[in-house]
Amino acid sequence: MVSLSTTRRGVLGLSTAAMIGATLRATDAAPEGELRVGVHVSLAPTWFDPAETPGIITPFMLLYAMHDAVIKAMPGDPMAPCLAESCTMSPEGLSYALSLRKGVKFHNGEELTAEDVKFSLERYRGAASKSLRDRVANVDIHDPHRLTIRLKEPWPDFLTFYAGASGAGWIVPKKYVEQVGDEGFKKAPIGAGPYRFVSFTPGVELVCEAFDGYWRKKPAIKRLVFKVIPDESTRLAALQRNEIDIAYSIRGELADELLRTPGLAIKPALGSAPYWLYFPEQWDPQSPWHDRRVRQAASFALDRKTMNEALTLGHSRLTGSIFPENFEFYWALPPPAYDPARARKLLAEAGHARGFDAGDYYCDTSYANIGEVALNNLREVGIRVKLRPLERAAFFKAYSEKKLKNIVQGASGAFGNCATRAEAFVAKGGTYVYGSYPDIDELFAEQAVEMDRAKRAATLQRLQQLVHDKAIYAPIWQLAFISGVGPRVDQSGFGLIKGFVYTAPYEDLTLKGKA
Amino acid sequence: MKQYIARRVGYSLLSLFLLSVTIFLFVRVTGDPVSLLVEPGASPEDIENIRRQLGLDQPLWEQYWHFMASLFAGDLGQSFYYRVPVLDLYFQRLPHSLLLAAVAMALSLLIGIPSGILAAVRVDGFWDSAGKIFALLGLSLPQFWVGLVLILFFSVYLGWLPSSGSGGVLHLLMPAFTLGWYFAAAHMRLTRSSMLEVLGSEYIKLARLKGLPEALVIGKHALKNALIPVITLAGINLVVMINVAVVVETVFAWPGIGRLLYEGITFRDFPVVQGVVIIGGAMIVMVNLLVDILYALIDPRIRLES
Amino acid sequence: MAVITPVTTDTVASTAPFWRLKGFPVIPVSILLLIAFVAVFADVLAPHDPQIGSLARRFKPPFWLEGGSLVYPLGTDHVGRDVLSRLIFGARVSMVVGITAVLVAGSIGTLLGIMSGYLGGWADQVVMRITDTWLALPALTFAIFLAAIVGPSELNIILILGLVYWTRYARVIRGEVLSLKQREFVRLAVVAGCSSRLIMWRHILPNVINSAIVLATLMLGVVIVTEASLSFLGVGVPPPKPAWGLMMADGKKGLMVGYWWLTVFPGICIMLMVLSANLLGDWLRVKLDPQLRQL
Repeated sequence: MVSLSTTRRGVLGLSTAAMIGATLRATDAAPEGELRVGVHVSLAPTWFDPAETPGIITPFMLLYAMHDAVIKAMPGDPMAPCLAESCTMSPEGLSYALSLRKGVKFHNGEELTAEDVKFSLERYRGAASKSLRDRVANVDIHDPHRLTIRLKEPWPDFLTFYAGASGAGWIVPKKYVEQVGDEGFKKAPIGAGPYRFVSFTPGVELVCEAFDGYWRKKPAIKRLVFKVIPDESTRLAALQRNEIDIAYSIRGELADELLRTPGLAIKPALGSAPYWLYFPEQWDPQSPWHDRRVRQAASFALDRKTMNEALTLGHSRLTGSIFPENFEFYWALPPPAYDPARARKLLAEAGHARGFDAGDYYCDTSYANIGEVALNNLREVGIRVKLRPLERAAFFKAYSEKKLKNIVQGASGAFGNCATRAEAFVAKGGTYVYGSYPDIDELFAEQAVEMDRAKRAATLQRLQQLVHDKAIYAPIWQLAFISGVGPRVDQSGFGLIKGFVYTAPYEDLTLKGKA
Repeated sequence: MKQYIARRVGYSLLSLFLLSVTIFLFVRVTGDPVSLLVEPGASPEDIENIRRQLGLDQPLWEQYWHFMASLFAGDLGQSFYYRVPVLDLYFQRLPHSLLLAAVAMALSLLIGIPSGILAAVRVDGFWDSAGKIFALLGLSLPQFWVGLVLILFFSVYLGWLPSSGSGGVLHLLMPAFTLGWYFAAAHMRLTRSSMLEVLGSEYIKLARLKGLPEALVIGKHALKNALIPVITLAGINLVVMINVAVVVETVFAWPGIGRLLYEGITFRDFPVVQGVVIIGGAMIVMVNLLVDILYALIDPRIRLES
Repeated sequence: MAVITPVTTDTVASTAPFWRLKGFPVIPVSILLLIAFVAVFADVLAPHDPQIGSLARRFKPPFWLEGGSLVYPLGTDHVGRDVLSRLIFGARVSMVVGITAVLVAGSIGTLLGIMSGYLGGWADQVVMRITDTWLALPALTFAIFLAAIVGPSELNIILILGLVYWTRYARVIRGEVLSLKQREFVRLAVVAGCSSRLIMWRHILPNVINSAIVLATLMLGVVIVTEASLSFLGVGVPPPKPAWGLMMADGKKGLMVGYWWLTVFPGICIMLMVLSANLLGDWLRVKLDPQLRQL
């Protein structure tokens, strides 16, 4: 759930700069030691191939190790030129000229050229591939290190997709792929990243080894081992025993234990997926949820701060919006207040002085822990609901088929910007939209054809304001992804890249006493 | 006889066919894999793209036809999640599952048979109760809890055993014990009753009358016969174990078939679920078929009757 | 050496009241009765509402430990709910789920087992092939599917467990029926012109009911533990409903952190219930049906 968004290019902070300087010291030393990462999901070979990058963040965990991109998010810069030294947009916005870094080698020793960049873009078939194919007219190669990507029409979001929300800008070796085929590539992937593929045992582990010829710097750690450990208690035990050095996704009371165990450290990273409560019956005049005051009361009833401290040790970011704060066109508003008295008052005004039976509260089983707490909060002000956790696949099926009622606890970490988010969750006809308001639909239609960026931003921000005013949603937070780090690790790489929840860039990671 | 076998094979094929239809439809009505491969709120064109790549844009009957056609060609399709052939996945996991089940079975028999014998020899005595209760404990505690307590004690506290994963003999001990303990009660119970039955039989009485030492009577003559049903049950349970190991496999990060199937279900990875269930079904149907045919060969009445 | 089998099935019937019988498992039965009592009077016995908590008082230890208090004698859980009250109400949920699931499994299994065994031929083939294929769908797999289709609720868990375990009944009962079919009294009934339906209902059913009861006591444990496993896999009784299995699954993370009371107390309850049911079952088996072995 990362947003590799281009919009708000961060200023290179002093601390980040200092840190990069510090890690660059180690460049001359030969890589040594082994870093073991306890991963919470099963690793899929499809993630070894950038061409198949789906619209989720997990594959980037491996892409950052084995591959490299023309432009990618790096510490301090969400659009850092990597394989490209420069990227310039033509004045009319119809083409992008890339000048590649010279002497960059793939793991098999072959040099990376413009041919590979063109091949990778044309071969790409993952998320957003249709948008790219529809809009890219051609890729012209001028010489082995210079090429131009020409568009059919101006497309201001091109770099967002090419360099962020897709795998199209991640480069694979043309000659090798043509030689071994797609299946062969997944069995023995070759890239231009800091670590090269050594072995993969499905369901068990992936082993990578430092690639001495990596252009940015020689990695400090010799071997990377990704171990699959599905149960989070077991992951914690493995970390406590030093069987692994990094444990992804340690939640709730297990994170408390990280704080308590000497030598272990907690590394929270803020993902870009907002969580919310949705009231699908607000368009039904018979439903109590039709009354805006009732929906507002539900929002005031949520004690988000305590919830945050209990479930994510205070590292999630409370939010009043269903739009992530790092999205383009985001309209900032203060986090919602916890005010049970006001909630009761609003309910009384709406004619529910003694509270009411509000029916079911649907959520994805994996996040039932949020629901359990919210349930108590709602009950305290008189909104009595029954928790109905559904298994993930069934939940999304029911949610998108508009079968859920009363309250839905949802979340989205999809790539895009505020317009794409509104399309799926607010505007008429969206996948998860149970009803809509004419004024919002109007604004949505308006921005979709607006070519002027500033005007479009204004329209989208007005739209967000309406979403807030009408209390269509009761947003909760942007969930923190908490990981644990063991005593052998010096630089763990968490939080270096904004919005990225896993450790990266791998070449910057160091172990203690090995510098 | 030929006719009987032919009919029996026909029935087996029919049940496999029914299984394939059931699982094919079942897995499809319960959720959409695409919604799990992308983030909620992904663009409709990306969703359409994935649907097309996975072949889910075709009508249902066409998907089924395709599935059956490739099944007969010995191809179970490609996993949606891993994007590699299901058969490859299956055979990568199978050795782990077999190893875990075999060791778990050995441990289970190691607990079950001695406690069963003790219980039979000392009916209602201390050993009877103690053995019974130890075996029953394995049945009455949820495996995920037993597993975690073992990890806490042997890995975190004592530091003797690796907490999870596969590799050496040490990795195998805790998951195999957790799984084996669960099955120990059944084996104990069967050993006990089968032993009691054998001990009451004529030839054991005869052996005793002949003045053979009690240890020899029990250890040699009785045990040999009493163990036959236990071994039969163990054989069946070995197959069952491969399937029920999912909880143990999850806790100990053991890469077995149970977890492959479980993850296949949670991700609605249709080819994986179909493949694992059909291979499992084929194995069970085949074993049953062989047993039935063997019985029919031994006992002609059965084939006359049906 | 043939083992002599009794000619009639009446070895089962005994004139003495059952609690006077030799080896009657007093302790297990008392435990089961106690659990039943707690389940029935949960509303009176429980000091707090089992479903309501507050984060402000989460993870309070049992009263004898530092930081504990008699207000929450066995401590509180991750949402700040009273563990004791949840255990008390959990007895109800676990009893209801366990017993009804076994009843569902038992009824379906016994019915199909009798039909399959007695009618033979076509009906037998169908039932046996279904039980075959059922085995291929491992219990938990099937449960996850059902949970996905019908959604989680207490009722659905009962249905799921019942549908998962009926085949065990069907197999055992079918075996029994096959041997009963050869008995004099059934043959006489056939000669006397009784309909198959009547024979199954009047003559076969009463003779297999003992096995069904024994099986039920043994299945109770399996069902309760499976319920816990389902919760572990995220498809069990939905929170915040208090069920012992769910409490263990929820509390397992606490185990790593030293909040042992979250899993140890429900663990003890499950263990006592399963042990007692099994010991009672063992005794019943010996008393009711010495023939029945492979359970």
